[in-house]
Amino acid sequence: MTEEEFQRLCDFLYRRTGMLFGEAKRYYVERRITERMGATGATSFASYFARLRGDVRGEIEQFVNAFTVNETYFYREDHQLQCLTSDLLRERLKGKPRGEAVRIWSVPCSTGEEPYSIAIWLLENWPQVDSHDIEILGSDIDTGVLEAARAGVYGKRALMRLGPELIERYFEQIDDEHWRVLADLRGSVRFSPVNLVESAETRPNGRFDVIFCRNVLIYFDDASRRVAAENLYENLAPGGFICLGHSESMSRISPLFEVCRYADAIVYQRPLEAARG
Amino acid sequence: MGGDDGKVLAALTSGTNDQRWAAARAAGDIPGGVQALGRALSSEADPRLREAFFTSLMRARSLEAVDAVLPHLRSDDANLRTGALDALRGMAETAAPRLPILLSDQDADVRLLACEILRDLPSAEATPLLCRLLEREGQVNVCASAVEVLAEIGGPEALPALAACAARFPNEPFLVFSIKAASARIGGQPPEHG
Repeated sequence: MTEEEFQRLCDFLYRRTGMLFGEAKRYYVERRITERMGATGATSFASYFARLRGDVRGEIEQFVNAFTVNETYFYREDHQLQCLTSDLLRERLKGKPRGEAVRIWSVPCSTGEEPYSIAIWLLENWPQVDSHDIEILGSDIDTGVLEAARAGVYGKRALMRLGPELIERYFEQIDDEHWRVLADLRGSVRFSPVNLVESAETRPNGRFDVIFCRNVLIYFDDASRRVAAENLYENLAPGGFICLGHSESMSRISPLFEVCRYADAIVYQRPLEAARG
Repeated sequence: MGGDDGKVLAALTSGTNDQRWAAARAAGDIPGGVQALGRALSSEADPRLREAFFTSLMRARSLEAVDAVLPHLRSDDANLRTGALDALRGMAETAAPRLPILLSDQDADVRLLACEILRDLPSAEATPLLCRLLEREGQVNVCASAVEVLAEIGGPEALPALAACAARFPNEPFLVFSIKAASARIGGQPPEHG
């Protein structure tokens, strides 16, 4: 890949996905380009770039997948979980009527690792956990993964970030390779299907204090991304927070939210004064 | 139009912030809603509500929606102009039939923004339009916008138009430099038809 081709690709990727690569990442980018060219049968950068720009057979999603860790596992991006208990919940509890539930939404939740991680993290790291009614909802468009989430059975790789004491405390081993989330914990997380670009499906879920919406908006086209952002806005209580994936930026998608920089994470907030939606 | 639909459309301009937000999100699915959204944008001052208006128009993705957005490309309000541009880029294929006219518009700012909309079209559609613009365009800034878009999407078929444009503006070092950089990016590559 020539310098010019690399720059052209980087400009396109930033504009289309918000992913920013500099010269230091060039080798990393080139390796993935080579992989995708091989997979698509493209014989030149130009023909592959045309395919990418035209999103032929979902190539943008395939390309982004090559750059992101699609595998989901417990305590992934746990700096956001740290931010949740260090800052976000404290902020949300200010002015929240006593007795009102703390509501957290993991969307898309895939096979459940994220919402169960949130539950475990709160139990382990939030001293006030027993003083509040906490609702955790996991949602995904794929009803197949929701079935797996409800079953709560995971292999070693999914548990790799959890220490043995946490596994012991929250899982039961069902064979040499698999562990099941304990029934009590499974019962603390609710799952439901949702399409993020359909407000008729998002609205019934009500308003949340914190939404984890990681690594999905990056795949949407501009219009769908904006619709999804507006739906998420409606699903946040005024002053509520949304956490995106590390390569995503809400500021590039929508002006509805305000950026909040905390010690552990950058998150986005529905402004308190704009109590519409 | 049913009574409820009429209330929604009326709320676009006369409701509270909450009501205008809800109406903006619903109007795209109501007969006459697209035109009403376009009209209501002129009087909407809240940037978050404008965003919802434009998103509804983008979601409608029709030539009617394009025509409802287009007047705002000429707005004196930079935020409204930018909102219109983003909305049109989000439905660039739908807007394509209007682009040749926009690229010939009397207003140089409109021509400049039209170049940006072309960025979201397939190269085979956008490149000839940009090349034709480069051949006749008298405003340096409009040429620079076309050159920047070609740097991303153009193929070698754009090189003669780029060279001719540079020759027409020998005293505009920034444009000449931009054309040189764009030509280097796209030079030597086979035409793209993505």
